[in-house]
Amino acid sequence: MADLQKGDKFETKDGRTVTVLEKLGKEGGQGAVYEIDHNGKHKALKWYHKRYVENLKAPRKFYENLDNNIKRGAPTDSFLWPQDILKNEESFGYVMDLRPPEYKDFTHFLLAKEKFASVTAMLNAALNITAGFRELHNKGYSYQDLNDGNFFINPKSGAVLICDNDNVSEFGKSSGIAGKARYMAPEIVVGKASPGTKTDSFSLAVVLFLLFINDHPLEGKKTCVPCMTEELEKKFYGKEPVFIYDPEDTSNRPEPGIHRNALKRWERYPVCLREMFQKAFSKQVLSDPSYRVLEIDWLRLFIRLRAEIFKCSCGEVFFADAVESTSCPRCGKNHKFNLCIKTSRYIVPVHQRTRLYSCHIESGSNDFSTPAGEIVLRGDAFSLKNVSLKTWIVSDGTKKDTVAPDSLALLRKGITIDFGGESAQVI
Amino acid sequence: MSLIDEVESIPRKTMVLFFVVDTSGSMNGEKIGSVNSAIEEVIPEIRDISSENADAQIEIAVLQFDSGCRWITSSGPVEVEKFHWNQVDAAGVTDFGAACRELNQKLSTKEFMKRAGGSYAPVVILLSDGEPTDNWQPELDDLKQNNWFTASIKVAIAVGYDANHDVLKQFTGSSESVLEVHNSEALKRMVKFVSVRSSQVGSASNQAGGETKSKQQQLNDDLKEIKEEATTDFSDDEW
Repeated sequence: MADLQKGDKFETKDGRTVTVLEKLGKEGGQGAVYEIDHNGKHKALKWYHKRYVENLKAPRKFYENLDNNIKRGAPTDSFLWPQDILKNEESFGYVMDLRPPEYKDFTHFLLAKEKFASVTAMLNAALNITAGFRELHNKGYSYQDLNDGNFFINPKSGAVLICDNDNVSEFGKSSGIAGKARYMAPEIVVGKASPGTKTDSFSLAVVLFLLFINDHPLEGKKTCVPCMTEELEKKFYGKEPVFIYDPEDTSNRPEPGIHRNALKRWERYPVCLREMFQKAFSKQVLSDPSYRVLEIDWLRLFIRLRAEIFKCSCGEVFFADAVESTSCPRCGKNHKFNLCIKTSRYIVPVHQRTRLYSCHIESGSNDFSTPAGEIVLRGDAFSLKNVSLKTWIVSDGTKKDTVAPDSLALLRKGITIDFGGESAQVI
Repeated sequence: MSLIDEVESIPRKTMVLFFVVDTSGSMNGEKIGSVNSAIEEVIPEIRDISSENADAQIEIAVLQFDSGCRWITSSGPVEVEKFHWNQVDAAGVTDFGAACRELNQKLSTKEFMKRAGGSYAPVVILLSDGEPTDNWQPELDDLKQNNWFTASIKVAIAVGYDANHDVLKQFTGSSESVLEVHNSEALKRMVKFVSVRSSQVGSASNQAGGETKSKQQQLNDDLKEIKEEATTDFSDDEW
């Protein structure tokens, strides 16, 4: 076996020395991860098992693809991207940054060993995962092997690191991987297609469903068979997949006593999210990859939902619709917002914890993380503090006031805020 | 209860790892000693695999056969987290047919395979060093008609030179999934490799190329490298 030992040394292409320090975590199917000293910095090395390399259909191509990805660089900071390749006579591996300890395996969230600190952190995780794959696709790559083992999430903030980027390939190219059962798109399961951006989009929808619901979207009554043979896996995830909440086909609804998370949680989410999942796993979208939900549509939905997270006076946190009244699932109290900020794409309800981001104040922006405005409550009056870099103009129809960065705009129904490009009405 | 507080672990299907262990007299001494310590040592690793796996909960069932056969896990498969290996002794003849019959009987939804959420096809690991002494063929033929057995991932480890490879091959369905070991170090490594890899194979990413490879085929691919190592690894401690 081509395991590395503590103290093993490599020479990088530019002649510097790398030393193996210790093995991190458990042995995986493909290889093991080691902590190394790489040019004086502590990094991680994913080292492939010799047999994994030998069993690859095209090891040379795999290696070259990895090398090419290193040259092209990471799509965003959310990726633990390959930075260097090391090899010896038996196998090879790639160098990446170490995972900071505050980031936890997504699998641990599925197993309820980790929990999000807040609903906002959960929404942030959904936003970050989606944005990561959107950027990857926009840069002309596909991920190809998206599954529960690919993410580390900070439970406090929802920040995400995407790992295992060794199968990432340029558009239209195949890395030789098909993917992991339960995450592969149906067309791959039945052998009709190879992984690409559209199959990534399917796997992303599975991961998002798992993130919110913690049950698998295609596992219900039908899949509770005594023995899940490989034949049946092909049927349930390939030939005849049925979404557990398909609006028309009720044959695969969650099974009481087993799919307890789905039965408890599905109804707790707003209709807009449930409808998006019903679309993402509709018969049409399952069978025709060209209809897959676009990352940008998920992003806009999550940006909207994050703004609708509301804390009731009873302490319950739930999604409160910006316009319609919503009742608290715990105390039953009806809640309706008095004020909303309506931009060209979003209606943001105004409450104590409302935040605006660049995506709200800049036309065309999908930046959901750079703060642009925050609510300040004085007495009963809500003001919006300008935390962006631009000066805003507030107009009530008769007079205009400027709101410089760090200044407040008093929110009243009927006023218009010009953010410097994008404008919004307070309704 | 808020949305983030009420999350339970995702339901997992069960995957039973069967060890079918020859404890006949010829296994006595170093061989059975190695089997004992190999399985004992691999259990914590399988425990880790199971606890990190959102697809399957791994359970262990152990059947020993010599003059007759008996389950060490007599009340059915045990969650690997709760499984504790009790060392077995070796004595008696090699009633392989009895083991096949017993396995056939328990591989049923009425017996060992009755999990509410369902199971993945099991993994069956057979360890034997000799020649069956009973009328095994009709029992193995019957076992091969069992749907659970047909669907299972099967591997056999031939302990020493005297194991009847043909029987083991018939059991697993191909010579690719029969390994041969000649010393205790190799036995330990093989038991570890086979148990760990077969526990992981359901959750591993599959290579592309038309229809995806079967789990048995994926495991057989992995066995190629280790097989060479097992048979060429001669040492002074050879049996």
